[in-house]
Amino acid sequence: MKRRKFDLAAVPGNSAVALDDRFQVATPLRRLLNKVFPDHWSFLLGEIALFSFIVLLLTGTFLTFFFEPSMTEVVYDGSYAPLRGTPMSAAYASSLDLSFEVRGGLIMRQMHHWAALLFMAAIVVHMLRVFFTGAFRKPRETNWIIGSLLFWVGFLAGFTGYSLPDDGLSGTGLRIASAIMLSIPVIGSWVTSSIFGGEFPGTIIISRFFIAHVLLIPALLLALISVHLGLVFKQKHTQWPGPGRTNGNVVGERMFPRYAIKQGGFFMVVFGVIALMGGLFQINPIWLFGPYEAWVVSAASQPDWYVMFLDGSTRLMPAWQINIPIGDGYVIPPLFWPTVVLPGILVGLSTLYPFLEARHLKDRKSHNLLQRPRDVPARTAAGAMAVSFYVVLTLSGANDVIADKFQISLNAMTWAGRIGLLIVPPLAYYVTYRLCLGLQQHDREVLAHGVETGIIRRMPDGRFVEVHQPLSAAPHGDGHGELEYTGWVVPKKMNRLGALGPAVRGFFYPIEKPAEAPVSPGHPPVEPRPEREEIGSGESRR
Amino acid sequence: MSTHTEHQAQQGREPLDVNTPGLTRFDIVREGARRDDIEIVHYEPQVVAGSKAERRLVRLVAGLFLLTGLLATAFLVIYIWWPWEYAPGRGSDKYFTPLLGVTLGLSLLGVGFGILAWGKKLLPKEVSIQDRHEGAVAEDERTITGQTMVYMADELGVKRRPLLGASLLLGLAPVGAVAAAPLVGGLISDPHKNNQMFTTGFAPAEGGQKIRLIREDGRPVRPSDISAGGQLTVFPGVEHGVSNRHADSPTLLIHLRDSDAQESRKANERVGHGDYMWGNYAAFSKICTHAGCPASLYEQQTNRLLCPCHQSQFLITDNARPVFGPASRRLPQLPIEVDSEGFFVAKSDYTETVGPDFWERP
Amino acid sequence: MTSENDRPRGLLARLRGRPAARSRGRRRLGAAVRLLAALALAGGAYTLFAPGAQAQDSAPLSGAAAEGKALFDVSCVTCHGRNAQGVEGRGPSLIGVGAASVEFQVSSGRMPLARQEAQAHRKPPLFTDEQTRQLAQYIQELGGGPVVPEGDNLHEEGNVAAGGELFRINCSQCHAFGGGGGALSSGKFAPSLRPASDRQIYAAMLSGPQNMPVFGDNQLRPDQKADIIAYIQETLKHDQDPGGFNLGRYGPSTEGLAIFLVGIVALVFASLWIAGKS
Repeated sequence: MKRRKFDLAAVPGNSAVALDDRFQVATPLRRLLNKVFPDHWSFLLGEIALFSFIVLLLTGTFLTFFFEPSMTEVVYDGSYAPLRGTPMSAAYASSLDLSFEVRGGLIMRQMHHWAALLFMAAIVVHMLRVFFTGAFRKPRETNWIIGSLLFWVGFLAGFTGYSLPDDGLSGTGLRIASAIMLSIPVIGSWVTSSIFGGEFPGTIIISRFFIAHVLLIPALLLALISVHLGLVFKQKHTQWPGPGRTNGNVVGERMFPRYAIKQGGFFMVVFGVIALMGGLFQINPIWLFGPYEAWVVSAASQPDWYVMFLDGSTRLMPAWQINIPIGDGYVIPPLFWPTVVLPGILVGLSTLYPFLEARHLKDRKSHNLLQRPRDVPARTAAGAMAVSFYVVLTLSGANDVIADKFQISLNAMTWAGRIGLLIVPPLAYYVTYRLCLGLQQHDREVLAHGVETGIIRRMPDGRFVEVHQPLSAAPHGDGHGELEYTGWVVPKKMNRLGALGPAVRGFFYPIEKPAEAPVSPGHPPVEPRPEREEIGSGESRR
Repeated sequence: MSTHTEHQAQQGREPLDVNTPGLTRFDIVREGARRDDIEIVHYEPQVVAGSKAERRLVRLVAGLFLLTGLLATAFLVIYIWWPWEYAPGRGSDKYFTPLLGVTLGLSLLGVGFGILAWGKKLLPKEVSIQDRHEGAVAEDERTITGQTMVYMADELGVKRRPLLGASLLLGLAPVGAVAAAPLVGGLISDPHKNNQMFTTGFAPAEGGQKIRLIREDGRPVRPSDISAGGQLTVFPGVEHGVSNRHADSPTLLIHLRDSDAQESRKANERVGHGDYMWGNYAAFSKICTHAGCPASLYEQQTNRLLCPCHQSQFLITDNARPVFGPASRRLPQLPIEVDSEGFFVAKSDYTETVGPDFWERP
Repeated sequence: MTSENDRPRGLLARLRGRPAARSRGRRRLGAAVRLLAALALAGGAYTLFAPGAQAQDSAPLSGAAAEGKALFDVSCVTCHGRNAQGVEGRGPSLIGVGAASVEFQVSSGRMPLARQEAQAHRKPPLFTDEQTRQLAQYIQELGGGPVVPEGDNLHEEGNVAAGGELFRINCSQCHAFGGGGGALSSGKFAPSLRPASDRQIYAAMLSGPQNMPVFGDNQLRPDQKADIIAYIQETLKHDQDPGGFNLGRYGPSTEGLAIFLVGIVALVFASLWIAGKS
């Protein structure tokens, strides 16, 4: 046999051919690489959540190597002296060991917790973006529902995780959770007893929460996230209106190379921010809370921020108890309304919103172009109302800390929350509605009369007027050519028109060299550059 | 707008033969994009090859990557050699986690911004337009798929043979229940087993033996242990009384001042609890009737008891009636007395249900 | 942070008799002004009562107590009355509160009260260490009561682990897990423990100032008190947080604030830089 010479350079090509022979991937792969994504900073908010989820999986897996989900009583004998000799559950002891005996364990735990907070925060911010720009409209209602489910599943993931270390704070949270389950009419005590395996706290809840926290809930999250991303892929991303952008196309960058590189870089940035926070900001110092004991509590016992709105609603709820005088008498405790009914309403309202709006507007069309919040005052105002409702509840969830640190009466804080919850949302609705109308009017004004130039001219009769630069060539010769509003940013400064030269570049401070030309996607420079001709992409426009 | 209409015109064009000699690689790339209904309308390098600007950017990106390597190495060095084991007080071990965070975080930011700068500054800017093809589903496609499905359903013939459908349904329903049964049946637990929701550790032992009030370290409590204006958390003197197994039993024993005690006794009499106090001592459940937190912030001058979880406030001198916040039910009072040896005992168990409210509480 | 938190060193130093020169000078000046005001008030009272009448029913006072009485009669008599028997609607009787109570209230600057509020605030103390002891001695000799043991360091023998357990059962519900204090009903609050000295904590437990329950020596033995003080001073105050900046130890509320103000803000800025803005 004659040995053939091995050609190293041909290996990639040959293996590509071999792969395509077997799997026929060439066409789908090219379609994938070529897929066009629109480019806007607000489209990256969801990615923050996605990337923090990846960090959560990584750090969480690390933590499972050391955490022991058991409520067996042990006596702590680790290196943290102030707890030595204290009886505690094995779960709490292993959480302490994780922080003090495992080298680098503390930063992993802190990164996991910060990533969880960031995950939920990014979900909320992303959701607000989607809501206020109308990205949830047909055909994306399904993805909106999945997104709001992701919030609630993330909420469960967070709560189960918060409960696992079995420290004083998490035990207090569990106790309240058991009370919430107890408050459900008719079946409450059965639900609680079944979940806790008997009377609170029982001996099994940590193991059950553990399997929910590390297997069931992450699997559900992973499934929902996959469908969420799959649908974004299938339905293609929405885009802002702008030159060349229509309801039937996507204007942006192809996935490879630039878009994918940006995503990869952004993942590293998210990871880096989480690592920095995990190292620099102490979160949930479980060693100070001590083991959970039913008779121990700390002032300012609060849940993590995304649960705080429920804590707030519970604090604001008046003591309205419903007694049902049948037989021995039955009770619906006041706890039931703010913790079971309210979240139920919120889930229902948020998932149904796209359908409610479409029904109200009799809108059955597909929408791929986003709307500026100011152009849909009713929706924007309703969103502001919802946000202010949520903020009042969340602040009330921390009202004892606020009362203490700003020296306000605690009772006054509660009353402020109760009254604020009724007054602030309608006020927010009204103010936002008027703001939207005002902004709309200003846009129309600029379109009709032009941009303020800052040049004051004295008229022959002595009046002073400011010169306006019309945005279009004047068809009537009087300098007032009215343009139609296209749902996109109206330039309101002279340099945006190119009248004062291009806007100075630089993010935080201006870079000395001015930009070569104002560039915006879909708006190619007026004069093609010679090097563009060389590459040969220039003609396609013509 | 114009670009879009031009793009529409591309639909009917002849596909380019990619084997034509003299085609650049970009021509092929653009042809590929066109076959996917993507038009690359703008593709422009941001820096001229070999220019000063390019060299500067390359230096920047390379610098970021090298910084990443440096910081990652620093992370490893700190991880291995920095003292990390907990020691009380202040010391270098307290900087272990922050240093790991700074080195790891900055190195990740380094690689992140390196990649981003590479993608953002060094790669050509592009604008591509892709068709969505939405609503382009041909009507006859829908018809064909629909008919196929209906045909297949018809072939099964459930309509003609109703027995099959009904029996399948009846047969499958129990199977579904079989799947659910072990889960539900295994988890379900009777909340009223041993009357557990209505008893606490203070229920007299089998021989009618009254249960002592003990402290967290197990010592029984004498009246002289608490000064006037003081409070003490007490537990039932039973096995595991001071543990989470008796999570409903922790009780607050309060020594009221004379005038407050008088008021308190009067209030007790109003609700038929005349003999619940012993002297100036009163004992109330520490478990909030609202959500079960230990309501234990005792204000000795106002005699209010505040729960730190939801700010319910109870007035001790008025049978621990809720005076503020979301709690709707007073804290149950434990009837106490002092036994022959001079220690506090519970006369009986709580006479009201302890802990958060639920549906069937009488 | 309130001003009381920035001054723990100064306060401790004063109690140990190592005063910071500047603040003492300023304090003296303030004291002199207040002294004059109080003298004017007290002068009126003096003319009404015959000076000889009060001397006869008082038991003979020790030297320190006599000094304390002199201080009492110029600074405290307005609210607490002659012979510390209290004035209806202004101040309670101090008979039987003991030296511990005086020491806590005066050394932490809560007394003399600046104005009537839901609760007295911690202030720079008006009296020196020596004067505080004289006042305490006077009240002690008037009606007896609990006394703080001698010495500035009362936690030498303390065990932090035992102290931690006691702290969580007895203290953390009001003063919070980190000792930072917390809100009580209607504007009252449990103060931060950060500026408190060993003697002040000990005195507070003994005397139950304002709305704090009393923890007498029968309830918490002196050695248990030492344990608690050791936990507060060694673990809560001296122990550095191993996980970085502690965000004020306010629990999840500041953590939630941090994730938005630091995490989300940083990443939104990053995405503004990465992607297009139009």
